[in-house]
Amino acid sequence: MSVLSEELREKIRAEFPKYPNKRAVTLPALHLVHDTLRAVSREAIVEIAELLELHPAEVHDTMTFYNFFKDETNPLGRHRVWFCRSISCMLRGGEELLETVCHKYRVHPGETTPDGRMTVEFAECLGACEGAPCILVDDVCHMNVNPASASALIDKL
Amino acid sequence: MATFEPALFARINKPDSALLKTYQADGGYSRLKEFLSMAPGDVTNIVKDSGLRGRGGAGFPTGLKWTFLPKDHPGPIYLAINADESEPGTFNNRYLMELDPHQLIEGIILACHAIRSQKAYLYLRYEYGTSYRVLDAAIRECRAAGILGNNILGTGVCCDIVLHRGAGAYICGEETGLIESLEGKRAWPRIKPPFPAIEGLFRKPTIVNNVETLCCVTQILYRGTEWFKSIGVPPDPNNPRDPGSYGPKLYCVSGHVNRPCCVELPLGVTARELIEEHAGGVWKGRRAKAVVPGGISMGFLSASELDTRLDFAGPGRVGCLGLGTAAVVVVDDQTSMVDVLYNCCRFMSHESCGQCTPCREGTAWMTKILERIRTGQGRTEDLDLLMEVAGSMGIIPGTTICGLSDGAAWPVKNAISKFRSEFEDYIRSRKASVTSAQQLMAVH
Amino acid sequence: MATVTINGKDVEIGSNERLNCIQAASKAGVEIPAYCWHPALSVVASCRMCLVEVGDKKPDGTVAMQPKLVPGCQTPVKDGTVIIADSQKVRDARKATLEYLLLNHPLDCPTCDQAGECYLQDYSFNYGRGYSRLNEPKNIKPDKDYIGDQITLFTDRCIMCTRCVRFTREVSGSAELQVVSRGSHEEIDIFPGHPVNNPLAGNVVDLCPVGALCSKDFLYQQRVWWLKSTNSVCQGCSTGCSVTVDQNEDKVYRLKPRVNELAQGHFMCDEGRFGWKYTHSEERLTVPQIRSNGHTTSQAWEDVLASVRSSLQKAATGRQKLAAVLSPWMTVEEAWLLAVCIRSLSPQAVLAVGPVRVTGADEHFPKDLRGHVIEPVKFTIRAEKCPNRAGVQAVVAHFMDELMPFEELLRLASSGQFSAVYLTGGDPQGWISEMQAEAFSDVETVIVQDFLPSPVLQHATHILPSGTFVEREGIVVNHRGLAQLIRRAVRGPDGSRPDSRILWELSGRSGLFQPEALRAEIAAAVPALAALTNPALKTTGVLLETAQQTTV
Repeated sequence: MSVLSEELREKIRAEFPKYPNKRAVTLPALHLVHDTLRAVSREAIVEIAELLELHPAEVHDTMTFYNFFKDETNPLGRHRVWFCRSISCMLRGGEELLETVCHKYRVHPGETTPDGRMTVEFAECLGACEGAPCILVDDVCHMNVNPASASALIDKL
Repeated sequence: MATFEPALFARINKPDSALLKTYQADGGYSRLKEFLSMAPGDVTNIVKDSGLRGRGGAGFPTGLKWTFLPKDHPGPIYLAINADESEPGTFNNRYLMELDPHQLIEGIILACHAIRSQKAYLYLRYEYGTSYRVLDAAIRECRAAGILGNNILGTGVCCDIVLHRGAGAYICGEETGLIESLEGKRAWPRIKPPFPAIEGLFRKPTIVNNVETLCCVTQILYRGTEWFKSIGVPPDPNNPRDPGSYGPKLYCVSGHVNRPCCVELPLGVTARELIEEHAGGVWKGRRAKAVVPGGISMGFLSASELDTRLDFAGPGRVGCLGLGTAAVVVVDDQTSMVDVLYNCCRFMSHESCGQCTPCREGTAWMTKILERIRTGQGRTEDLDLLMEVAGSMGIIPGTTICGLSDGAAWPVKNAISKFRSEFEDYIRSRKASVTSAQQLMAVH
Repeated sequence: MATVTINGKDVEIGSNERLNCIQAASKAGVEIPAYCWHPALSVVASCRMCLVEVGDKKPDGTVAMQPKLVPGCQTPVKDGTVIIADSQKVRDARKATLEYLLLNHPLDCPTCDQAGECYLQDYSFNYGRGYSRLNEPKNIKPDKDYIGDQITLFTDRCIMCTRCVRFTREVSGSAELQVVSRGSHEEIDIFPGHPVNNPLAGNVVDLCPVGALCSKDFLYQQRVWWLKSTNSVCQGCSTGCSVTVDQNEDKVYRLKPRVNELAQGHFMCDEGRFGWKYTHSEERLTVPQIRSNGHTTSQAWEDVLASVRSSLQKAATGRQKLAAVLSPWMTVEEAWLLAVCIRSLSPQAVLAVGPVRVTGADEHFPKDLRGHVIEPVKFTIRAEKCPNRAGVQAVVAHFMDELMPFEELLRLASSGQFSAVYLTGGDPQGWISEMQAEAFSDVETVIVQDFLPSPVLQHATHILPSGTFVEREGIVVNHRGLAQLIRRAVRGPDGSRPDSRILWELSGRSGLFQPEALRAEIAAAVPALAALTNPALKTTGVLLETAQQTTV
């Protein structure tokens, strides 16, 4: 029973023509699987490797290089909220913001809330320094965030 | 000073600035056909003559880099656009991509023509979701309008762009780290030689250019090299090897200022002017203690160095690494430099790719030393040790494969040499300043 | 010819040689320390241990040195290259690199297998700072004993040279090893469920410069400074990998490959690496015997040998013939001694090469995902599993007009053609089946020289316990005609004797086995083996130009 649906496989295959070899589709494939399944499990890695004609270790070592991807032991919640901890955000209260949120929602960076709603992460510079402190909620960046506005955003997820 | 008329930012405040029709209404793509009918070498010569230097951090003359490609190579030749923008404090490429994607696309097409490439890979950091959506839409608009694809506007030139999203690693902003990442591997920068122009993406000749650099290419072709050279700082007449600092630059200002912003100005504005006249001055009525001149890799200017001109040569004269990304971050006088330096070191050790020994071990060591200092258990010898470690790593002494190490070392070198007494006082006071927030993020 | 200057000393480089600074320096007797560089793997220049100063000597004699340090492994030398490996700058860089490597390195020397042959120990001793300035907690990483059936990993000893990962990607092609995570948290690991069990797996342990990857077979068995190393040749197949046999007190602890570009290159396969255990088997034959009617009538070597001699002499005068089976596990000298001995007793004696065990097909590496070979081939395990078919065949061919297949000899034996047969075994996996052995059931004199029991022993009239390859000296010739020496590393169990001694005495030659004189004799007599007196035999081995390639 394969972990990757035919639809997901089609999406991965659709990337092949863009590159001269299949290995270059590693990162796009990991993203596709990770976004859909909220983790890249061992089985998924094996299936990705088969599609890309690579050894599983060759997919897995790329995957672990980026702290971005979760495996099946610690899957993502329904949403992922990144809190920037680099210099500009730190100078304007970013670290305290993260602490407040972690305290309020009883979760540590890297972990998911018990109700599975949100995974909290710290991030390095998100490139929104003019609006520090900023957070990235899934694929949308929010600037000039304070504990109140962060809670409001999170509660709406 | 007279308000500078933006070129790169000419359209960003227009409604629907990202749409094709807005770009075209402003004259965008109107001469693309003419430029694509020129010989590729002629386009390269224009860029060379303009004196354009890369805006990604290294400041290498762009046109010169294009000439490093092998002549008569059967191809394919690739253009890789470095949109990984991860240097802390930097966000100018984000503006360009979100608000004026077509200026970038036109620059890409022009660059591809000059280097005889038909395929451009735009490596975009994953966190720039909006940029991704905007660029994707813009590229589709171009394809539909015959501006990208086969036979662009009937000229016979072919060019297309593949958007490739990263996954959150600073080292993917290094040329060959980007290439390795794009190829699907761990982003371990390659040893050089061979350089990317000879053997790059998929082992083919590749030019890697920054987003802002390519937007400058568009402006240079449309407005001319005279225009470009009328802006900025000409070469130092006493230094025959100085290519000067021509053209406009997008400066990012963030940190302890009243109006953090991204502003387009001629190269060479001073840090003081940037902060006071464009960013509303230091916040809360305070003074600046230290200013990052171009992303944290470049180190720090001290309060007495704020009249440094932020061009390619200025920061180096006061002991910083260089202009970098021209991302200015202001630290006020109520902030501890120990905390600031710790933040920089933690970033670098987190982002070190781990391939070569001095960077892998050295960045972590410096971070651990600073951690200990911040728990109140530092010793003054630690400062000398930090200086020694910082001095032994980097491509400048030749001990590492890429420049991340130099960027890791420079904040340490500048902070300790320019703010030594603050560090010594801190150590002597045995003060501990590890907040619980920082403890939450202890995994560096 | 090109001249390279290293530390002020000039050294000549051949015009065809493509060398890096490390190799050029080595020619001048100067060591440039390195971890990640290996001549059989790609260059990554990541350890930064080999940093040196490099420059160019212009025709007018002035030297222009590059301002930065460069890795010696990625810098090719040419005529006029100047290398400085002993300046303060280089010394400081080495001290720094070693200090960095030791930062997170655990204090495991007291129990680490690598102690005594560890690059980290050796370089620290030669080039290190001599004291630690670390005041921080070390990164601790978990050990991984699941890396392979034969391989265990002490993760925090790893210095991230990535030789092991590159080996599995570039030489075996099986890509089991990977680096996980990033920065100082990096670790070597496998993908779960895909351990390093490929046929060349054991090489990653050799490649590991420190005690991170260890052999489970050798783990905690012996401190390396008690081991004595002897150069020899693996007997597992006709590739004939050059090896060293490491032993202490007559017990072999491990085999390791020895570099030999004429033989196999840098590596060896696991079958050969671990396939010597039979040398210490409890089943070894250790009692010489004269047997008749199922009873042993003597167990003394002198009696047995005398009986063998007299039985052969008696058989030689009879109507039937003598025969000898010369095992392709024999050395050239042993084969010669036996052939000469039998033929001098009986000029019509039949000599045949023993069974040549062939398993499957030659296996080439690296292989891709589907098991297809990727060119260029970097290692081959050969299907022909005997180490000296070529050598033994050359001897037999000298005496016989036609080479007789072993099955033919069995047929002749069954049909009562022989009154005496001299059989040599030597294949640790058995050389003769019960059914084949039946062929000798009615032969009057059956002499068996072997080191492990086999079905033919029940028909033997004389049993001569012989030696394995670690107990004997002699020449073996591999698949392409490379003649190399196996050398005696240990004494065999009491009661056994090296084949050369047995056959020397049987031949009536006086004194001890004299290999040099014997080789001269063989070289003079057999044109195909003329090269055996070449001194290169004792180092890399020597190629025999006309070694026979036909299979029996």
